[in-house]
Amino acid sequence: MSVSASVRPRSGGLRRRTALALRRDWQLWVLMLPCLAFFIVFCYFPMYGVQIAFRDYKAAFGITGSQWVGLKYFEKFFSSYYCGRMFLNTFLLNFFGLLFGFPVPILLAIMLNQLRGKRFKGFAQTAIYVPHFISTVVLAGMIYLFFSPTNGIINSLITAAGGKSIYFIMEADWFRPLFIGSEIWQNAGWNTILYIATLTSIDPQLYEAATIDGATRWNKIRHIDLPHLVPIAVMMLILNCGSLLSSNTDKALLLQTSGNMATSDILGVYVYNVGIAASKAQYSYASAIGLCLNVINFVIIMLVNGVSRRLSDISLF
Amino acid sequence: MTVLSMKDKRRKHVRETRQDRIFNVVNLLFWGIVLFIVLYPLWLILIASVSDPDAVLQARVLIWPVDFSLMGYEAVFQNSELLGSYLNSIFYTVAGSALSVIISLAAAYALSRKFAGKKLVNLAITFTMFFSGGLIPIFLNVRDLGLYNTRAVMILMNLVSVWNLMVARTYIQTSIPNDLYEAAVIDGADHFTYFFRCVLPLSGTIVAVLSVYYGVARWNDYFTGLVMLRDRGLYPLQLVLREILASLTSTGSSDTFFAAYADNLGGLQAALRKAEVAKYCCIVVATVPAVVLYIFMQKYFVKGVMIGSLKG
Repeated sequence: MSVSASVRPRSGGLRRRTALALRRDWQLWVLMLPCLAFFIVFCYFPMYGVQIAFRDYKAAFGITGSQWVGLKYFEKFFSSYYCGRMFLNTFLLNFFGLLFGFPVPILLAIMLNQLRGKRFKGFAQTAIYVPHFISTVVLAGMIYLFFSPTNGIINSLITAAGGKSIYFIMEADWFRPLFIGSEIWQNAGWNTILYIATLTSIDPQLYEAATIDGATRWNKIRHIDLPHLVPIAVMMLILNCGSLLSSNTDKALLLQTSGNMATSDILGVYVYNVGIAASKAQYSYASAIGLCLNVINFVIIMLVNGVSRRLSDISLF
Repeated sequence: MTVLSMKDKRRKHVRETRQDRIFNVVNLLFWGIVLFIVLYPLWLILIASVSDPDAVLQARVLIWPVDFSLMGYEAVFQNSELLGSYLNSIFYTVAGSALSVIISLAAAYALSRKFAGKKLVNLAITFTMFFSGGLIPIFLNVRDLGLYNTRAVMILMNLVSVWNLMVARTYIQTSIPNDLYEAAVIDGADHFTYFFRCVLPLSGTIVAVLSVYYGVARWNDYFTGLVMLRDRGLYPLQLVLREILASLTSTGSSDTFFAAYADNLGGLQAALRKAEVAKYCCIVVATVPAVVLYIFMQKYFVKGVMIGSLKG
């Protein structure tokens, strides 16, 4: 009783302050209202609903009415036969994607910055952004068409050179190269934007001084461009490390075939297959897997952000 | 840009060394290869779409259209399901993006001003970037709200993107001077008046950037439809394309898809023949709107993205 008595005056003060602030700022809140409503209904409601991962979800009982089963579905997932394979596939797909995809935009930005003809430079810059605007479905369709075993251009080149036609999309060994290669083709150009912005902000006097000192183009790249790009590149690298276990589900779903399951079986697609596509959807089980992934990704991002802040003063928040 | 051109002009006075000239040749060669890799697949799609199906099947279409014909486009435009999904996509994209831009801009303005509770709002919004309920809870939420399999869900899902919101807020903060706000307040303006009479008219660039961002994302999205829709009549274009293009199963392939319209296409044989090029035509028809929008808006576009990225 004494506690509530001592709290009451303060909460009254808070209420008064809130009322005052609301009277002053209500128009701002009205302007924000649709946006906030969206986040509450479409982001925070599902976060509340994630508790079905710990329940035996039955549509008839709803989210809060279904029976509590604790960690049953998490145990089921971690003891399932393909769990290890899926974690490994998801990690390797992202790891190789980072390994091969990360340096390309930096190279493109540096080489673009060295182009002299203004027209050609503008054309090149416009052109390398274009693939970014192609949809995932069309990209997958292009892979199916170009790498088709019967009339795809790649296989006609291989057979013309005397080789044997390869059924790319059905072979497990080719899933990662196709996935990552098409990813680089589609987004490497777009990802140069940040690096180009950094390069154009370099003081031109630096280049002039270097020219007077007899530096070649290559020297300037080595001693001016690269050092300027390092901080932003490190930040991008660290940020990308934060998504090593996330998955590009919509693209993987399109490229997964019965033939390449050994490498294309990744966590995001599994969640979709078990929870949405299956004729008898296992909502609780799929939610549990999704929750696991989200928590792991969240922890990785927080860790990486913390490490980055300590080491380089570069952080998201 | 002015800095760049000044740099170029001064450079001309200095004669380039032999090494630099070699570097320039290597660089041009490099860009020749890069541009070939980037553009040739797109060119190939384009020329295959206007070639004869037999030439396409024998992979004879490499540099220029072979036996020019428009029968693929004929098959595409006579297909009522494709046309219907095309109209659906236009509706989802236009209505959805318009709503997204308005809502984002209003919220971005509010977040660019000082008010009590701003920190909490920022935190709550940023948090959704790094943590979500996951696919299944989102799906069940939509179903419980009665939005499953409706046109509304295609518009309401992904209505606001946190990233775009930040870009818009940074734009308003950096390119609209605070003096303007103070002057407006002295003249008796409140937030509504200031937002609608001063901020909106000055936000042309950011409206263009947000429209392209939201528009292209919506036009290209198939996953929302895949999870949230059951009625084929509500399908967006990308979802229909998926059946035509990205499938090896016999129930969902271009052959079965176009064979179903054999009566309009001059019999089954002709339909199957046309289906071969129709795939390429579908790609062209689906991609052209997004790419054209980008090329027209690119002046604003790159600028706006830079504004966002420099801050983030």
